[in-house]
Amino acid sequence: MKKYLAVILMIFAMGCAKKYVQPHEYDEGVERKGEVVEEKISPEEARLPDSSVVEESLFKFEDALFDFDRYNIRPDARAVLDSVAAWLNSNRGTNLLIEGNCDEMGTNEYNLALGEKRANTARDYLISRGISSGRISHISYGEEKPLCTEKNEDCWQRNRRAHFVVTR
Amino acid sequence: MKKKFKVKNSRLGESPGATKLKILVFIFSFLIINFSLLTPSHSKVYIDITSPAFRKLPLSISYFGPEETKEIAEIVKNDLDFTGIFYPIDPDLPGVEINVRINARISEKIKADVLVFDLIANREILIKSYAAPKKILRALAHSISNDIFRVVTGKKGMFRTKISYVRSSSSKKWLYLADWDGYSPVRIVSKGLSLSHSWSSDGLHIIYSSERKKQWSIYSLNLKNYKETVLFLSRGLNLVGGVSPDNRIAFSSSKDGSPEIYVMNMKGRGIRKLTKSFGIDVSPVFSPDGSRIAFVSDRGGSPQIYIMDAYGRRTRRLTFQGSYNTSPAWSPDGKWIAYVGRKYGKNHIFMIKSDSTELRQLTEEGNNENPTFSPDGIFIAFDSDRKGNKGIYIININDGRQRKITPKGVKAMHPKWSPYFK
Repeated sequence: MKKYLAVILMIFAMGCAKKYVQPHEYDEGVERKGEVVEEKISPEEARLPDSSVVEESLFKFEDALFDFDRYNIRPDARAVLDSVAAWLNSNRGTNLLIEGNCDEMGTNEYNLALGEKRANTARDYLISRGISSGRISHISYGEEKPLCTEKNEDCWQRNRRAHFVVTR
Repeated sequence: MKKKFKVKNSRLGESPGATKLKILVFIFSFLIINFSLLTPSHSKVYIDITSPAFRKLPLSISYFGPEETKEIAEIVKNDLDFTGIFYPIDPDLPGVEINVRINARISEKIKADVLVFDLIANREILIKSYAAPKKILRALAHSISNDIFRVVTGKKGMFRTKISYVRSSSSKKWLYLADWDGYSPVRIVSKGLSLSHSWSSDGLHIIYSSERKKQWSIYSLNLKNYKETVLFLSRGLNLVGGVSPDNRIAFSSSKDGSPEIYVMNMKGRGIRKLTKSFGIDVSPVFSPDGSRIAFVSDRGGSPQIYIMDAYGRRTRRLTFQGSYNTSPAWSPDGKWIAYVGRKYGKNHIFMIKSDSTELRQLTEEGNNENPTFSPDGIFIAFDSDRKGNKGIYIININDGRQRKITPKGVKAMHPKWSPYFK
């Protein structure tokens, strides 16, 4: 009897612990049953480092562009990176976030790794130009945050880039 | 959604006292009371679906009851038809070899009596009753499919398995969970930009990589209580690959500079580095026995698939055709590796024998990416943009039939098929 009571109590407790919001709807006529479950924030989540990145860059740089499936620095990208290095050298109180991006032609997971390498080589180049590594952070977005979505080489080239965001 | 249920299972031939009472605590569980009236010995002759002489079994389904009965029959028919093992035909036509009869009635619950008759052997091979709340009619129907599949083939049915996938809208990327046929989608992770993910071997956790506050970390979601924990957090890119049968997690991390392959346990500890190269090492997946890892590397100048043992030794290159081969997935029998290969400027799903001896191209239209095997090895789920937006498709690898399981207008990608649930 005690066991059953415990089970009933548990069911009851679970029912209370969770909030369900309205089922989300699909854009199509087919009826699909589903419930959206609210997420809980774990204590670990709260400890995530909060980078003080401001989305709007304090200074606009051109993007450093890359060839398809490559992460080596092209001559035109070198010129861009030299100007970034020069600016950082004369604006000591600032930091830099490098975002590595890819076109949509590759596959998502590999592109995340490729974007990481692009951000990495750009970072290494800046360090070789005398920028302290502590001032530079980076992240890869792979093909997940494209500048443009047209399916032509012009757009794909614009998306194969390292993007620079200046932060305090 | 999450409930505790009791599953009652009794068989004729067992003493009444042997009735087992099990309490299942799992989100996919529901109240189905099964009364099977056949002893196991009645259904021991199975057809060999791997035999070259195998032909599709003509199967008919007749049903009697309220309108929901038709829906149940349709789901069962679709399930069995798509396996390529059964061939649904009209009950009145000659040639029927397996006859399924479903009698259903509805009160508070749906109750369905199912009788499966083998016309060749001239005997019943399944007599079973099912009961479930009305709103999980689909799960009840899939359970019937599982039982029919099992009594005919002797193998476990996968009609109650799930597929997780990424759904995107504008700049968001959420993790979803749906039935294998795409129905009953549920959003399970809303925070951040989630992409790479994998099932734990028992199907109770989903391990995934999510970008939050400019940081890619590896998380684990407990599917019993939807609690999320951080497994791995470090500078750089941290992408989960596959999980081994004994729950070792393979992942790629650039914590030391370049993306390299590592393994760790389910608590995010015991981290061990397996590769060391200047370039990219990513997308590691375990062989079904956990002894080997397939992964993608550009060490040869272009992305190709390599295989090494689970300790990072004895590395060899698997793919040689084309200059862009990524996203490996191991078949459940360990013999094949599905992957994405770039051909004439488009991405397609290929299958290669794990000793590189045989190669098959599975798709022809659009860009097709992120293959994942069903636990029975009959299907591969993947994403494709052949109809515009990316959506999730399933292909039967034996007969090539394909089916889209996400609706039009929904952008969905990166499917991962669950293991069988206990």
